[in-house]
Parts: sequence; C-alpha cells; structure tokens
Amino acid sequence: MKTLRFIAGCLLCVTLATASYAQSPNSSNSSEYLIKAGFTYNFAKLIQWPANAFPQPNSPVIIGIIGNDPFGGTLDEVLAGKNVNGRELVIKHLKWGADLKACNILFVSSSEALHIDEIFHIVKGLPILTIGETPNFARRGGIINFILEDEKVHFEVNVEAAKDADITISSRLLSLARIVPRTVADGSKAQ
Amino acid sequence: MKLQNLSIKRKLMLITMLTSTVALLLFSASFLFYDLISFRHFLSQDLATQAEIIGYNSAAAMAFKDEAAASVTLTALKAKEDITAAILYTPDGKAFTRYVRANLVDPSLNGNQPRFEGIRFRDSHLEVVHAVSLNGEPVGTLFLQSDMSQWYSRAKRYAIFLLVFMLGSDLLALLIASKLQTLISGPILRLEDTMHMVSAQKNYEVRALKFYDDEIGRLIDGFNTMLSEIQQGDSALQSANDALKAQTLELESEILQRKQAQDELLSAKRTAEDASRAKSSFLANMSHELRTPLNAIIGYSEMIEEEIQDTGKFENVQDVKKIQSAGKHLLSLINDVLDLSKIEAGKMGLHLESFDVAQMVQEMVSTFQPTITKNSNTLQVNLAQDLGLMRADVTKVRQILFNLMSNACKFTNNGTVSLDVQRTTKGDREWLKFQVKDTGIGISAEQQKNLFKEFVQADASISRKYGGTGLGLAISYRFAQLMGGHFTAESEPGKGSTFTVHLPSKVSADVVEAVKAKENNGPLAEAPKPATQADTILVIDDDPAVRDLMFRHLVKSGFHVVVAADGEEGLKIAKRIQPRIITLDVLMPGIDGWEVLRRIKADPELAETPVIMVTIVDNEIMGLNLGSSNYVMKPVDRTLLTDLIEKHRKARPSSSSDVPVAV
Repeated sequence: MKTLRFIAGCLLCVTLATASYAQSPNSSNSSEYLIKAGFTYNFAKLIQWPANAFPQPNSPVIIGIIGNDPFGGTLDEVLAGKNVNGRELVIKHLKWGADLKACNILFVSSSEALHIDEIFHIVKGLPILTIGETPNFARRGGIINFILEDEKVHFEVNVEAAKDADITISSRLLSLARIVPRTVADGSKAQ
Repeated sequence: MKLQNLSIKRKLMLITMLTSTVALLLFSASFLFYDLISFRHFLSQDLATQAEIIGYNSAAAMAFKDEAAASVTLTALKAKEDITAAILYTPDGKAFTRYVRANLVDPSLNGNQPRFEGIRFRDSHLEVVHAVSLNGEPVGTLFLQSDMSQWYSRAKRYAIFLLVFMLGSDLLALLIASKLQTLISGPILRLEDTMHMVSAQKNYEVRALKFYDDEIGRLIDGFNTMLSEIQQGDSALQSANDALKAQTLELESEILQRKQAQDELLSAKRTAEDASRAKSSFLANMSHELRTPLNAIIGYSEMIEEEIQDTGKFENVQDVKKIQSAGKHLLSLINDVLDLSKIEAGKMGLHLESFDVAQMVQEMVSTFQPTITKNSNTLQVNLAQDLGLMRADVTKVRQILFNLMSNACKFTNNGTVSLDVQRTTKGDREWLKFQVKDTGIGISAEQQKNLFKEFVQADASISRKYGGTGLGLAISYRFAQLMGGHFTAESEPGKGSTFTVHLPSKVSADVVEAVKAKENNGPLAEAPKPATQADTILVIDDDPAVRDLMFRHLVKSGFHVVVAADGEEGLKIAKRIQPRIITLDVLMPGIDGWEVLRRIKADPELAETPVIMVTIVDNEIMGLNLGSSNYVMKPVDRTLLTDLIEKHRKARPSSSSDVPVAV
C-alpha cells in the first residue's frame, strides 16, 4: 500500500509540478484541475469539522460537486485510496435539491456562478467547507476560493465564513492562503 | 637528584600532588567526555527536534508547493548559528528549496537528497534527514546540517574551565599537602634530629617526642625503648668499667703491697744470707781456731807417746793415748759438723779420680782391724773379682764406708760385720754396690724414719752409751746423693742391720772437673816404711808449732826437711835448694799459699815439683786447680802425709839426692 501511495504521490507531484509551470489559461485544463484536486485533498487534511458533521466516527468525508464537473475524473484519480484522519473520501455529483447539505466539502463549479448566494443560503450554518473557483467567491461567503495568478494556482480563505460554518482551518493552511473579508458577499447579495 | 632520595616532606607533597592531579585529570577527562558525549546527544536530539519542527512548519508549504513559504520557513534558521544548511527535497528527491549559511561552500549540498535517514556525523558535522509529511502523507524530506560549533565552543570552554579548575585545585592541594605533610614528616624530622643528637653527643638520656599514636608514634616508642636499653647497657658498661677500675686500683695496691712484701722478703733473704755467710765464716774461723790447738794437742801427744816409748815409761803411754784419741774424736766431730754445713750450703765439691775399688776397700778395712777386735766381732770382706776401677771422689767413698763400718762395729758385740762389694748393672749404667751387714742391736721401724737425719741417733740413750754425733749416716747419705747414688737400710731390732749403698761406677762431674790426680802407682796396702833415701822436703808454714811438728815427724820418717816461715822465704829457699816435695800452708802473712802455689807453678825450675797443700782452708778444688798435687787438711794425719810423700818420692826417682840441705 505504501509503495502504491508513494508512486501515486510521485505521479501527483510530477503532474502538479509540470502543471504549475506548464499550465496556461485555456490550453491545459486538466493540469489546472489536477492541482486543484490535490489542493482539495490537502484542504481536507488541514481543516477540522465539528464533531456533529459526521454521523459515525468512521463516516467518509463526502466531497460534493455541484455544477459541471471541471475535474473530469482527475479528482477521482487523486483521491483514489486516500483517506483523511481515517475517513475515506467519497465524491458525489450533486443536483439542485435538498441533498446539497449532505456533504462535507462542497465544490461549487464555475458553472454555478449565478447561484452562489442560493447555495450559500442552503448551507448556511452547516459545517460544510465550500470551495469555489469563481472570482469573489470567498468574499461573498464561500470559505475557500481558487484563484489563478501568474499562472499559478493560489487560494483565498474567508475566515469568518469558516467560523460561521464551525470549521477550523489549520494555521499552516492559513499561512499559505490569502485571507479575505466578507465584503462582496453582501453586495452580491444585494445584487 | 633521584626521586627516591627526595626528603620525606617532598615525597609526601609529590605523592599528594601526583595523586590529586591524576584524580583530577581522570575526573575532568571523564566529566568532559561524558558531558561532550551527552551534549552531542543532546545536540543531535535538538537537531532532530528542529528538523521535526521545521518539517512540520514546512509540510503545508511543501504540500501546496509554496516555495516562497517554505523558503521563509527555512530562512528562519538564520537565528540558529550552528545550522549551516537546511534543504527541502520533494518526494522524488529533488531539492525543493534550500537555506545555506552565508560564506559556506559545500559542494556536497548541491546534489540530490542524501541517501540516509535519521542522524549522522560527517566531517565534524551533524546531519539529519527528516521525512516531512502532512497528516501522515509524505510530502518531502528535510535535510539539516549543523557544524556543532556549540559543541566545540562548549568543549573549549569546558577544557579551559577544567584546566583552571585543575590548576586551582592543585594549588589548593599543594597548600593543604604542605600543611598536612607535617603530620607525618614532622615527627620523623624530630626523630631524626633526636637521633643526630644521640649519635653526635653520645647522650643517651634524650628521648624522642611522641606526637600521635600512629605507626610513627610506635616507631618513636621503639626508638625510645632502644635508647633506654642502650642507656642501661651504657650505664652497666660504665659501672662495670668503674668496678674494673676499682679492682685494678685494688690490684695495683695489692701488687704494691706484694712488692713491698717482696722487698721485705728480699731484704730478709739478704739478711738471712748475710747471717748464713756470717755463720759460714764463723764456722770456717771456728774450724781454723779449733783445729789449730787440736793440731798441737794431737801432734805433741803423738810426739810424747813416741818419746815415752823411747824412754821405756810405758805406764804413761795409756794416758797420752787417751789424750790422742780424745783429740782425734774431737777432730772427727769438727770435721763432721763442717762437712754437714758445707753440704747444706751446697759448697761440697767433688774431686773425681779413678781408683781401684778393691785396693781402696782393703786399705780402708786394714785400718779397721783394731775396732773389730775391740768388740769381739768377726769381719768378713767379700770382694767380687770384677770390681775394677771406679771414677768417683775416693775420699767421700772411703768416708761413707768408714762411717758404715764404724757404725756396724759400734752397735755389734760378739757378732759378725761383713762388707760385700759387687759390680752391678742397673738400667744402662754400671753401679758399685757396697753392703755392710752386722748382727748388732738393729734399728726399729720407728727409728729408721730418722735414720738419715742430722744429729738424730736412734735413741738419746744411744749417744750416751755408744757416743758419736749421729752425723755419720746423714753425711754418708748426702755424699751418696752427691755422687748420684742411693742409700738403703734394712734392719730388724735385735737381729742386725743391713746398709746398702749404690754408687755409679762413673760419677758424672756436675761440679768443677777435678784436676786429674796422679795415678796410684803402687799398692798402699802395706804400712808406710821409712824412707831409705833422704830427700829434701820444703815445709812452708807460718805456724811454728806446725813447722816444728812437721819437721820432727818427717825427719823421723827419714826425710830431709827444710822449713820456711812465710811465702817469700819459702819461694827463695825452694829456688835455691830445688826440694823434692813442697808442703804449703794457705793462710800466711804476706803472700798467701795460693799465690805461692801460683808462683811455683809459674817458675819453670819449680813447676815440676809436687806441692802438697797442708792447710785448714777447706778448698781442695782451688788447690788442685792451681796445680797442687794433693790437699791435706790440718790437723795433719801423719800417716796420710807420709804415704803421699812416699808416693811422690817414688814417682820420680830422686835425681837430687846430693842436693845440699840448708836450714
């Protein structure tokens, strides 16, 4: 198992590395999402959900994807056989409806840019880590938002939103993130 | 200087210093070693911890590939002086980001991830490789390198500290040792001083001071005990010495006393000798004085007897004969006393000559016939055939026999007196054995004890009954001893006595060798006959009585006689008349007889003339030595003198019968 994981890790890293240097806005979508998939996995490792977020101690961490799945299977590849704190990682493609709440990480695809506030409204107060890739996603109430800068993937964190969601983010993650306030969220809400 | 010869003080200090220094060195070294080891361990643990922290802090950055963030984390190590390099490697071993301390050039850091895990020391550097993981997911590897400058500086500090500590401790130890060594060296040095004192001053009364009750204390005790023993021995020796000195003093005083006693004894001896000399000279004088009148008495009584017989008045003959015999007895007594005193004074000389024993015995015996017949005794004389010659003092042998015979005759009545003479061999010497036997009254055993003592007769009554001085046997005994012979007596009271004398056939002359007497040429057994030829005889004597007696007697015997009253006159006459024989007195006024004899012998014309000394002076040896032919003691035995003159006259036929006679 260890060797397999190591090889996978190596592969991931290689791909990440190549992606981070070779990615271009439109050309290599897959490498960008390979990085984002890895980042998502790392996020899962560096945040802490409240105890009530999981029904069982060994309940899996459910990663829900709403909207068009930009990963195209890379997320599955990255997460395959991995776990976080003894919890397996399960990917769910979500439809609009009540089951938005039935996940621990909610990846909001850029295709759902217009429904962000709606989604925020649904998961509000719930211990769900919201990850987006839409500009001002974090400012409007999301917890983590991927941004591209100098052709590198970075991320923003809205600490307040995390607090609202009763999610604790490791300082190590925060030290790498750009902390943003929830300012645009109200504005966008007003829009 | 050799180490072994250092003083005890220095040795003690040296030992203390060496011990403490070695102990300190060992302690410091082990302490340093332990500390540096544990500090190194600590350093490596510390480095591991740092690696863990840095790994933890950089894990997220690694996971998110955030090089800048990782670089910031590593750069924070600038604060750690000893960290020389920190490198993060990606899981595939490539360097992800690195921190290298300024000015450090280490090409080994430029390559890929080092192939080890954990901690290692390399080239005096501490290196750690730590896997970085995020929630158990490995995200890379951290490499940290420390130059252990802390360790080195700590080692240096410790070394300096320990050196200072050691120096300080040694100084302190030196101080303490120099103070404490006196505990041991002090008593020893004192003991040494004491010993010096003892050996230098020979003072055994000092005692070493004892400080503590340790081995040195016991040593000092032992030394003191030895000292007291030596002191005792010394004082004992001293007292023994004193006692010896005292004894020596005593001895000296005793020696002094003895010396005084010796001196006193010597003076006493001298006095005694003087007394003895006085006695001798008194005796000599007395003999002279006694003999001179006796000479006259005997001589004139003989003359009277002859004249009476010539006149035919025989009734007076017996009276005159009594005078004669009393005079002769008195003369023999005087002679005996003189002989004895001479023997006692050791002045009795021996005049050795060879003579015919048988002839001598017969001559002697012939004179005894009247005595034998007086007591109606029978005489038996048994002479062995082989008697031959004997060399001895014939006068003394004759006297011994005479004494024995007269004793035998004296104490025997109507008995037999026998004389046996034999030649025997005893040992390797030849002896002549004279045995006189009688059948007389005998001698008791008690009396025999005193037989040879002077003046002791068998019984006091004997001398009254038989007369005599009791000196005869004593003198005979001494004479026999003088000639090397011995004397035995056997007797049974009432049955008789036997006296035996053994004399050597050749008496060895331990006295002055007597001048060889002229040989007896003819037997003297027959009675003297009147001289047929008148030969001149010169009589030199200062005593007119002697001159008169000699003249009358010799003329009667048929000699022609010339007299001289002193030596000078005698010599003159002798030269003029050339006498046939000279008789010479010794004690004379003017030149004495010795000088006259010397001059006669020195005169070639007179040297051959026989000289018969006729004197009172009893020194026959001297006379014979000076060349006299015979020595006749006064009072003169006329028969003896006649015999001697006859002998000389015959020896040299008279060639001067026609010599004129002058008066």
